[in-house]
Amino acid sequence: MKGFSVERRLMPVDTSLSLALITLLSVVAALVIGGVLMMPFGANPFLAYWQLFEAGFATWRGFGFTLVKAAPLIMVGLATICAWRTGFAYLGFEGCLLIGAAAATWTAMQALPGAVLEGVPFFMFLPMVIAVSMLSGAIWSGIVGYFKSRFGGNEVITSLMMNYVAIFLVQYLVSGPLRAKGDLPVSPRLPENTWLPYLFDGSRAHLGIVMALVATLLVWVLLLKSRVGYELIVTGLNPKAARYGGINVGTRQLLASFLAGGLAAMAGTVDILGVHHRLVDGLAEGTGFVGIVVALLGKLNPIGCVIAAILYAGLTVGADAMQRQAGLPASVIFIVQSLIILFVLASDILRYYRISRVGPAKTTPVEVSG
Amino acid sequence: MAAQNEEGDPAYSLRQIVKRFPGVVANDHVNFDVRKGEIHALLGENGAGKSTLMQILYGQYGRDSGDILVDGQVCALDSTRDAIRLGIGMIHQEFMLVRRFSVVENVIMGIGDDKRWTVDLKKAADRLRELSLQHGLHVEPDDIVEQLPIGVQQRVEILKLLYRNARLLILDEPTAVLTPQETAGLFVVLRHLASMGHSIVIVTHKLHEIMEISDRVTIMRDGRVVGAVKTALSCKDELARLMVGRDVSLRAEKAPRQPGKPLLQLEGLSALDARGARALNAVALTVHEGEILGVAGVDGNGQSELAGAIMNLASITGGRVLFDGEDVTRLSPAAHHELGLAYVPADRRHVGSLGELPIHRNAILGRHRQFASACGLMEEPKIGQFADALIERFGIRPKRPDYLAGRLSGGNLQKLILGREVMRDPRAIVIEQPTRGLDVGAIEVVWRELIAQRDAGKAILLISAELEEIFNLADRIAVIYEGRIMGIVKTSEATIEQIGLMMAGEAHPANSGAPQ
Ligand SMILES: Nc1ncnc2c1ncn2[C@@H]1O[C@H](COP(=O)(O)OP(=O)(O)O)[C@@H](O)[C@H]1O
Ligand SMILES: [Mg+2]
Repeated sequence: MKGFSVERRLMPVDTSLSLALITLLSVVAALVIGGVLMMPFGANPFLAYWQLFEAGFATWRGFGFTLVKAAPLIMVGLATICAWRTGFAYLGFEGCLLIGAAAATWTAMQALPGAVLEGVPFFMFLPMVIAVSMLSGAIWSGIVGYFKSRFGGNEVITSLMMNYVAIFLVQYLVSGPLRAKGDLPVSPRLPENTWLPYLFDGSRAHLGIVMALVATLLVWVLLLKSRVGYELIVTGLNPKAARYGGINVGTRQLLASFLAGGLAAMAGTVDILGVHHRLVDGLAEGTGFVGIVVALLGKLNPIGCVIAAILYAGLTVGADAMQRQAGLPASVIFIVQSLIILFVLASDILRYYRISRVGPAKTTPVEVSG
Repeated sequence: MAAQNEEGDPAYSLRQIVKRFPGVVANDHVNFDVRKGEIHALLGENGAGKSTLMQILYGQYGRDSGDILVDGQVCALDSTRDAIRLGIGMIHQEFMLVRRFSVVENVIMGIGDDKRWTVDLKKAADRLRELSLQHGLHVEPDDIVEQLPIGVQQRVEILKLLYRNARLLILDEPTAVLTPQETAGLFVVLRHLASMGHSIVIVTHKLHEIMEISDRVTIMRDGRVVGAVKTALSCKDELARLMVGRDVSLRAEKAPRQPGKPLLQLEGLSALDARGARALNAVALTVHEGEILGVAGVDGNGQSELAGAIMNLASITGGRVLFDGEDVTRLSPAAHHELGLAYVPADRRHVGSLGELPIHRNAILGRHRQFASACGLMEEPKIGQFADALIERFGIRPKRPDYLAGRLSGGNLQKLILGREVMRDPRAIVIEQPTRGLDVGAIEVVWRELIAQRDAGKAILLISAELEEIFNLADRIAVIYEGRIMGIVKTSEATIEQIGLMMAGEAHPANSGAPQ
C-alpha cells in the first residue's frame, strides 16, 4: 500500500512557479536528448551548448543577429495572438508577410530617384510605409475573415491556400512589374533613406526590434486593457457567451482578421527594410509558421511571445555558429529546437496531474509540479 | 456509530478514512457502511467530500490512512482493478462511455480475457440481452452510444457494472442529468437490483429523492460524517439541517401581491432549435410587473428556445416579442439588455459565464460598455469596485474578484450570474433552470432573491423543470410541451397532478391560453 500514485487534479495548476518549472523541465529534457545526439560526433555537449549560447546571446554581434531574426517572429506571433484568441483559426500569416513585404517594397520604390517620394526623410517615410503595408495585409487576411464572419465555415483551408497565392504573387511581381533591370528576378535595391536604421555600431540590430516591442505593448493594451480587447477575448473563449453578452461575434472576428493581417504584414516590412532592402522570391522562409509556434510557446500572451521569439531566434543564430565552430551539423540543433517545441507544448498535460504518496502512513501528500 | 446488527452486518465498510488534498481535508476520519440489499444515500453539499470518498472505495484515489472492509475482512484495495475484483462498481457523474462505440463494445471494454486476442462480441451481446431482460434495463446491444438519450446511456453504465458482476453499485449524482420520467425509471431499476441482493450507494443532494428511494442515509459535511440514519425515521427538514449545519427553509415565503401592468408579451412566437427543427410553436404569454410566471415542462420541450427567442438569440420564424408595448423582436441582444430585459441562461458554465476569466471580468459580461472610458480602455478601479459590491451583496465565495469563474462552485457561479443581472436593475428577468444542480443553501439564496425582485415590481419569467420550484415561486404556471403552451393556471388553484398531466402533453381542460 506504500508508494506513489499519480492522481488527476481537479483543476490544472496555474501558479507561475509550477509553469516555469514545467517549461524548464521540457527544455532540459530536449537539451539532454540533443546532447546524446552529439556523442557520435565526439563533441562535448556542454561545450557545444556553451558555444551556441555564446553565439546567440552573449556576443554583441550575435545578439544583434538574434534580434534581427526575432523582430518578424514577434510580429507574426502577435498576429497569431490576435487571431487565435478571438477564435479565428487563421494560418495565412506567411501570405500576409509576403503581401506586407511587397507593399513595403512598392512604397520604398516611390523614393527611388525620379519617383514622387525621392529624398523623403525617413521619419516621414516610416508612418507611410507602415500604413500602406498594414492596410494591404489587413485586406489580404480580411478576405478570409469576411467569409468566415459572413458565412461561417472553416478558415483553416482557405487561409492556407491564400499563402500559395501570395507566394506566386511575389514571384510575379519580381519577374514583372517590380523587376529591376538585370538578370535576376528581384526588385531594384531600395534607396538608403528608406532603410530601417541600425541601432548600434558593430551590430546588425535595426529599428525593427523596437517596432516589434512597441507593437507588443500596443497589442497588450488592446487585448487586455481595452473594451474591444475584452470583446475579442470573450468571442474567442466562447461565441455563445459572447452573443449572450451582446457582443457581435461576426464583426469581432472580422476585426481580429484585420489585426492579424496588419501585424503579419509588418513582419514582411521589417525584413525588407531592415535586412533584404529589395524584394526577392522566397524571402518568407516559413517565418509565418514559426511565428505561430512562437506565439504558442508564449501561451498566446504578448510578453511570453517576445521571450519565446528571442530565445528561438537565438537558438537559430547559435546553431549556425555551432556548426562552424564545433563541426556539429546544425540539424542537431534543429532537432533540439523541435524537441523543445514539442515538449513545451506537450508538457501542458503535466499540469493536470499530481504525484501523491499513498498508503496508510500518516504523511501529507507531496506536492510536485510535474 | 455502532453497527445495527438487527439488519445484518455491513457488506462493505470504510473505517477512519482520511484523504487530504492540498489545502483541504476532503475526508476526515470517515466511517461508512453499506449492507447487502440496501439502497444507501450519501448526502452532502457540494464539496462535502462525497465523490472523494466513493472514489477511494472504487480505488481511484489513494487514501492517506484508513481501512476498507469487505464482509468484515480488511482488504487490500489500491486500484480500480482491486475494487472490481471485490465486486465494487461506480458510475461517475460524467459517463465514461466511448461515444462512437456500440453498447456491447462499451460494456466489454476493459475486461481482458488474458488468453485470447479476440473478443466474442456475439456472445457478449447475448449475455447483455439476458442481463437487460433480467433487470428491466432495456437496451439494444448494437446501438451506437452517442445516438442514445442520456437515460439509456445510464442504463448502459449500469449494465456495464452488472456484466462485471458488481455487488455494490455506486452512483454519483445519477439524477442530475435525467428528466423526471427517467429518474422514476432509474428508481424502479435500483429497487429491483436491491431486492436481488445488490447493495447500492446513491450520491445526491436532492432531499426528495432520498426520501423516495433510500433505506438509510449517511450525511457528510466538510469532509466529516455528521450523521447516519434510517430514512424512515427521519424527515427532510432534519436531513437538510444536518447537511447544511443550520436550519434551512425549504419553503419560500411569499406574500400575495397584486400584479401590475403587462410588461413582457409574447405573441405567437415560433422558433427553431440549433439543428433547424421547429422547437417553439406559436407561444403566447404575458408577464406582468410584480409577477413570477412559471413555465413548467420536461427538459427539451422548447424551454431554451423560448428564452433564446425572447432575447433574439434563437432563430425566430414568426410572432412578436413586446416589451412595455414596444416591438423588440428583432432588436439585438445588447439592445434587449439596454431596455432592461435581463436573462439568466440555463447553461451557467458555457453561456452565462466564461470559466477562463476571473470573477471581475464575468461580472461585467453584457454591460462591459459601461465600464469603458471614452478612449475605449477598461476602467479597472470601477470594475473592481463593482465586482466587490457584487461579491458582498450576494455572498459569493471565495471573496476574490481575481478568482477564475470556472473554479467557482455551481451555487457561487449562479449567485454571480444572477447577481450581475439583478445589479443592472432590469425591469424584467428571464431565468432558466435557476437552481439546477445547486445545493440547498444556494437554492435558498436564489429563491429569496427572485421573490425580492418580484416584490420590487420586476416581471419574472421563470423556466424550470423542477415542479417544487415552480410551485414555491410562481404566481401563475404555464406548461410547455413540445414547444406549445398547454395551458396557464394560477398556482393557488393548481395541483401537482394536473400540472404533471399537462407536462405529459394533455391539454388543460379549461385551456384559455390567455393570461388571467
Ligand atoms: N483531485 C482533487 N484535487 C484537489 N482537490 C480536490 C480533488 N477532488 C476533490 N477535491 C476537493 O475535495 C473536497 C471534496 O470534494 P468532492 O469529494 O468532490 O465533494 P462532493 O462530491 O461532496 O461535492 C472539495 O473541497 C474539493 O475541492
Ligand atoms: Mg461530487
